[in-house]
Amino acid sequence: MSNASLSAARDGNARWQTPEATRRIARRNAAERRFKLIGLGAIVLSLAFLALLLVIMLKNGLSGLDWSFLTGSDSTDPDLAGVWGATKGSLLTMLVTLLLSFPMGVLAAIYLEEFAPRARWIEWVEVSINNLAAVPSIIFGLLGLAVFINTLGMPRSSPLVGGLTLALMTMPVIVISGRNAIKAVPPSIRDAALAIGASKMQTVFHHVLPLALPGILTGTIIGMARALGETAPLLMIGMRAFVVTPPGGITDPSSVLPMQIFLWSDEINSGFVQNTSAAIIVLLVFLLAMNGLAIYLRNKFEVRW
Amino acid sequence: MILTGVLLAVLGLGLVGWFAARGRARLLHTGRGTMHSMPGYHAWHVALWIVFPALIAWGAWQAAMPGLVDGAVMADPVAAQLPADAMSRAAILAEAKTIAETPDAVAFNPLANTLAGPVRNAHGRFGLIGALLVAVVAIAGGGWAFTRIRANYPARTRVERGVLGLLLAASLMAILTTFGIVASLLFEAGMFFKDVSPIDFLLGTHWSPGSARGDNLGESFGAVPLFWGTIYIGAIIAMIVAIPLGLMSAVYLTQYATPTIRKWLKPMLEILAGIPTVVYGYFAALTVAPIFRDFAASLGMANPSTESALAAGVVMGVMIIPFVSSMADDALAAVPRAMSDGSLALGATKSETIKKVLLPAALPGIVAGVMLAISRAIGETMIVVMAAGAAANLSANPFASMTTVTYQIVQMLTGDQEFNSPKTLSAFALGLVLFIVTLILNIIALRVVKRFREAYE
Repeated sequence: MSNASLSAARDGNARWQTPEATRRIARRNAAERRFKLIGLGAIVLSLAFLALLLVIMLKNGLSGLDWSFLTGSDSTDPDLAGVWGATKGSLLTMLVTLLLSFPMGVLAAIYLEEFAPRARWIEWVEVSINNLAAVPSIIFGLLGLAVFINTLGMPRSSPLVGGLTLALMTMPVIVISGRNAIKAVPPSIRDAALAIGASKMQTVFHHVLPLALPGILTGTIIGMARALGETAPLLMIGMRAFVVTPPGGITDPSSVLPMQIFLWSDEINSGFVQNTSAAIIVLLVFLLAMNGLAIYLRNKFEVRW
Repeated sequence: MILTGVLLAVLGLGLVGWFAARGRARLLHTGRGTMHSMPGYHAWHVALWIVFPALIAWGAWQAAMPGLVDGAVMADPVAAQLPADAMSRAAILAEAKTIAETPDAVAFNPLANTLAGPVRNAHGRFGLIGALLVAVVAIAGGGWAFTRIRANYPARTRVERGVLGLLLAASLMAILTTFGIVASLLFEAGMFFKDVSPIDFLLGTHWSPGSARGDNLGESFGAVPLFWGTIYIGAIIAMIVAIPLGLMSAVYLTQYATPTIRKWLKPMLEILAGIPTVVYGYFAALTVAPIFRDFAASLGMANPSTESALAAGVVMGVMIIPFVSSMADDALAAVPRAMSDGSLALGATKSETIKKVLLPAALPGIVAGVMLAISRAIGETMIVVMAAGAAANLSANPFASMTTVTYQIVQMLTGDQEFNSPKTLSAFALGLVLFIVTLILNIIALRVVKRFREAYE
C-alpha cells in the first residue's frame, strides 16, 4: 500500500473520531435505545392496565366466591344472590349458538372454498361475510329484535332468541377461520383422493375436512368465547330478566352471565360490588378455559405442510 | 308443543329409514362392482327423502296454523259475543291464546276465559292434523326413495347433489343476514322518518326524546350531539390512547423482541382483546372514572361528573390496543425485507430505519387498521353505557358526561314503551346511521389493505 493511501485512510479514521462525530454517534445510539424503550414501555403499560383490571376484580370478588354464590340465582339480597341461573342461561344460549353457527359456518366455508364457481354473486357472499364480521354487535341485536321477536313472535328474553342472534354474529367468524383452515390443506391431498376415484364430495368430506377440523375448531371456540362475553345484542332482545329460578329450557326467560354482571353493576346496594366482581371472575375463568382449549388444540393438531 | 314432538319423530323416522335402506342395499351389494353406489349412499338417499319433505311440510304448517286456529275460533258460537272493533277483538283473542297455553295465567277480560276453551280445542285439532300431514309426507317420501334401491340407481350422485344444495344454502345465509339487517333497519327507520324529517335528525343539535310531544318531534330528535359524542369518545380519545400504544407495541414485537419474548408477550397482549366489554365497562365505571373525576376536581373544575367521556374513551382505547397492534404487525410484515435491509446497509440505525423507511412504507396498511379500529370503537356499546352517561352534551370538555349513538340505542329500547313510538323507532334510525358508517369504514379499509398488499407482491 502506498504512503499516500495510508495517510488518507489515517485521515479518514481521524475524521471518524473527531469529537463531533463521536457525539453524533452517541446521540444516535441514545435515540436508538430510547426508541426501543418506548416500544417496550407501550407493551408494559398495556399489560399493566390488564394486571390492574384483574387485580381489582380479584380483590373485590374473590371473597364472594363460595358454593352458595356458584349455585344460587339472582336475588335482591346481595348475600343470597348467585350466578347459577345466569350461568345456565349462558350455557343454553351457547348451545343454541353452537348448534346453529357451527354446521352453517363449516358448510358455508366448504362451499366457498371448494365448490363455489367464479361468479359475481359469490363475490357478494364474500363481501357480506367480511362485513358481517366487522358489523357492531349491537346491530345484530336490532336485527334480532326486529326479526325474531317482532316479526316471528319468538319468546322475548329467551335463550332461543339470544342464541339465534349470537349465531348470526358468530357464523362469519367460523366461516372465515374455516376457509383459512381448508385453504391450508395442501392440494396434493385432494389430488391423491381424486386420483384413486373419489368423487369431489368424498374428497372434501373424507380427506380435506378431517385435516382442516382442528383449525376450524380453534376458530369456532374463539368465536364462541366472543359470543359468551357479548352483552349489547342481548340487551336489545331484552335478556335482562330478573330470574330467580334457573331457566328450564330454551324458551324460558333467562339472563346470561355478562348480563348479570351488567345488571348487578347498576345496583345501588354496595354488597353487589362484590357480587359483580365475583361474577366477572366466573366469566373470565370460562373464557380463559375456552381460549386455553383453543390454544391447546392449535398446538396439538397444527400440521405444518 | 305437539309440533316439537313431531320434529323429533321425523328425525327418528329418518334414522329408521337410514338403517332399513342400508340393510336392503347391502343385500344387493355383491362386491363385484355391479352396484352404482355403496349401501351407505342408498341409506342417506332414503333418510334425506324422509326428513327434507317432512321438514318443509312442518314449516309450512307452522306458518299456516295460527290463521287456521283464528278462523276456527271465530267460527265458534262464543266468538259472536266479541266486540265488533278489530283492535279489542285481537286483544281478547291474544289473551285467550296465552290462557290456553299457560293455565295459571289470569284473564284481564272475562270473555278471554270462555274463549280459551275453543282456542285450546282448535290448537289441539290443527296440531293433530299437522302431525298427520307431516307423517304422511315423511312416509311417502321415504317410501318413494325406498323403491329406488336398485343396483343401477345413482344414489351417490343424488345424495351429493342434495349435499351441494345444502352447502349452497349455508353460504347464502350470510347474504340473507346482511339483507335482514338492511331491510329491518331501513323499514323501522323509514317509519321513524315518517314522523321526523331526516334533515332534523341528522343536523339538529337538540336531543331529548323524553320530552318529544306532538307536532314538532323534529326538535327533540337532533342527533348531532350523539354523533359528536361517538366521534369524540371512539375516534378521538380512544385513538389517542390506542394508536401510539398499539403501534409501538407492534414495532417492538416485530423489530426488537426476541422470538421467545414475542411468543410470551403477544398472547398476553391479546388477552386484552378477549376480555368482555361489560368487564371493561364495569372497570371504567368502578375504577377509572373516579380517578378522572378526582383529577378534574383537582384541576379546579366545579362538580365534575363521574360519568366522563375521558373514562369511557381511555378504557375503550385500551381495549382496541391489541387490534391496532395486530393490524400494524401485519402491515409491517408486508413491507419487503429489501427495503429495511437497504436502509440498514446505508448505515441507518434500526430506529431510524423504522421511522424513516418501515413506517412510511407500511402507512397505508396502518391507516386501514386504524380505520377498522375506529369502526370497532364507534360500535362499542357496553363501555359507553356503563361509563359515558346519558346527557347529550355538545362539548369538547373530556371530563364532561357525553352520550353516544350506541348508548342511545340501548336507552331507547330497554324501556317499557310500545314498539312503534318514535322514541323506539329512533333507535333503528341511529342503528342505520351506525351501520352505514361502519360499513363505509370497513369497505374502504379492506380495499386499502388489499391494494397495499398487492403493491408489495
